[in-house]
Amino acid sequence: MLRQFRLFASFILLAVLTVMAPLPVAAQEGGTLSLSTPYPSLVIGVGETLTIDVDIHSTVSQVVALDVANVPDGWTIEFRGGGRTIRSVYVDADSTANIKARVEPPEDVQAGTYTFQVVARSGNEEATLPVELVVREKAPAQLTLSTDFPTIRGTSDTTFRYSVTLKNEGDEEITANLVADAPADFLVTFKSAGKDITSLPIAPGSSKRLDVSVEPIADPPAGSYQVMIYAQGGDVEASLPLVAEVVGRPNLDVTTPDGRLSGDVYLGRENTINLVVRNQGSAPAIGVQVSASAPAGWTVTMDPEQIDEIAAGDEVNVTATVKPAEKAVAGDYIITFRASPTEGATDSTEYRVTVRASTLWGLVGVALIAVAIGVVALAVTRFGRR
Amino acid sequence: MARLHERERTPREREGSPWTGLGAVLAKEMADHLTSARMFILEILIVLTAVGTVYAALQGIRSGGQTKFLFLRLFTTAREPLPAFIGFLGFLVPLIAIAMAFDAINDEFNRRTISRVLAQPIYRDALLMGKFLAGLFTLAVVFSAIWLLIFGLGILGLGVPPTGEETARALWFLLVTIFYGGIWMSLAMTYSIIFRSPATAALASIATWLFFTVFWDMVVGLVVRLFQPAQVFSLEQALQLAQLELNLARFSPNTLFAEATIILLRPSVRSLGIVLPIQLDRALLGSPLPLSQSLVLIWPHLTGLIAVTILLFVVGYVLFQRREIRA
Repeated sequence: MLRQFRLFASFILLAVLTVMAPLPVAAQEGGTLSLSTPYPSLVIGVGETLTIDVDIHSTVSQVVALDVANVPDGWTIEFRGGGRTIRSVYVDADSTANIKARVEPPEDVQAGTYTFQVVARSGNEEATLPVELVVREKAPAQLTLSTDFPTIRGTSDTTFRYSVTLKNEGDEEITANLVADAPADFLVTFKSAGKDITSLPIAPGSSKRLDVSVEPIADPPAGSYQVMIYAQGGDVEASLPLVAEVVGRPNLDVTTPDGRLSGDVYLGRENTINLVVRNQGSAPAIGVQVSASAPAGWTVTMDPEQIDEIAAGDEVNVTATVKPAEKAVAGDYIITFRASPTEGATDSTEYRVTVRASTLWGLVGVALIAVAIGVVALAVTRFGRR
Repeated sequence: MARLHERERTPREREGSPWTGLGAVLAKEMADHLTSARMFILEILIVLTAVGTVYAALQGIRSGGQTKFLFLRLFTTAREPLPAFIGFLGFLVPLIAIAMAFDAINDEFNRRTISRVLAQPIYRDALLMGKFLAGLFTLAVVFSAIWLLIFGLGILGLGVPPTGEETARALWFLLVTIFYGGIWMSLAMTYSIIFRSPATAALASIATWLFFTVFWDMVVGLVVRLFQPAQVFSLEQALQLAQLELNLARFSPNTLFAEATIILLRPSVRSLGIVLPIQLDRALLGSPLPLSQSLVLIWPHLTGLIAVTILLFVVGYVLFQRREIRA
């Protein structure tokens, strides 16, 4: 009899509740008290804490004690209201109290489905609300570096530019530090949008393009150089080997044995200037033509005029024979000496020559004075008288 | 027979040294020059000129901003309305030289002192040589004093000491100036032997000087025009004419002095005369010549000035030795 009545009463209440509060899920047992939540089944990631909204409805004014049941091991669940942890809540007649349940899974929680019930008690009345939490393994944080062209060829004065894509395949934003491990002669810089960068934030699932430039500082010998670039963020790291293939090239330098680039030449004479053609590059210079640009009317001959080969790091002596123009004015002139290999850059050096007139006419002048004095002496001996 | 003939032809061998008494004449003449009123006036004139032009040049140099060869620019910088000091020297030096020598010999004759002097144990050589050297030394003393005055003013006004190169160039300039004066002094002395009257000798000297200063350029222009063909066809012809004009102009001591001073005091001047553009191909313009090269350029001028001084003296000497001197 009693059982029949209770069943009937619950039907009535259901009907009333359905009309009065169209809540998505309502769990209730008993007459006056009911619990509800908008989302009774939630998916969370490992390590996440969440807060569930719980509504408590009562038809009469009463104090409702709050509790949880069937809590999984290690989980802590507490109720919060008014900024504090609460144990019970007072509900007015025919009204709804809103509280929050803060659910904190243990740090080492396994993926799976966990359930617990929120229990509200008032006197002997009790209402429960089952909550289902699906804990899902998060996608592991992961960075990848990739490039289409990992090997670039160039000469020792080329800046090797690689286009690299950095991708965050994890679920969290990562600030990636960019590091490079390069041979001593190379300078590696990372650029994004034209700026030098050393780290950059990268959103989950997105990728960014980086320009990596590898610049040889010294003149590295020909060869293949590997540059490792790393992107480090938190405890993940991505690396990518880049290869710079340095092709050797000749680098000629025209100078004099002692480095002095000025000297004297005498009018009417063949003057020799000693030069040195040095190959400071990383490949032999083939077929080097040695030439000079001299003032008009001057003759400059080079010996030798052509050098078949200058090995890398080697030097060859060249003698320039300079004959100034007949009517050259004394003073300073510029002669440009040039060495041009068949392949590679031409080097030229400006040499400053001071033209000096012959001092032969000076002797003639002195002789003239001597003659004048001789004439005096002659006159004195010839005409001397008291 | 031939021997006898030769003996008659051979001039009488001189007796005694021509140097005897030279020192005494030199000392007396220098004392006369340096204490004479004539010299005093000329010295005041040249000192005033030097101070004025150098002061003006200092103003110009201070505002000029040039830093090389400042001391040489003291001589060459002109500032309106004053010309540069070397411009003044061009006519002051001949004036002083002529003023010192135009009455060297004829005044002795006119005052009848020459026979008295020659009655002493002094040869004629020594008398003439002593007078000439005394004049040259006096010139040297005066110009050296001016030179020191200018350098002193320069050190005071510029606040920097002169460099070795500047000093060397200025010393060579001093030498050139002394022998430029030497030419005019030999000339005036020769005239004083030729002409009995000092006034005539002075006039002849001044006339010669005026001729070379004012008229020589005109004469050169006329002569060149005589040689000039109806039409100049080639560059070489034009060059030859220009060279001829230059060579003729160099017969004037004024031209020699002007060119020598320019080369010595402006180290960046690399050549005298005509320079073709082709000669300046790849040349570094404005770079100073080394002193040795500047000297090579003006060596003919310098030796010319010295040689002509000596030769003019020889002419005077020969004339003087052949002159009959009666007591």
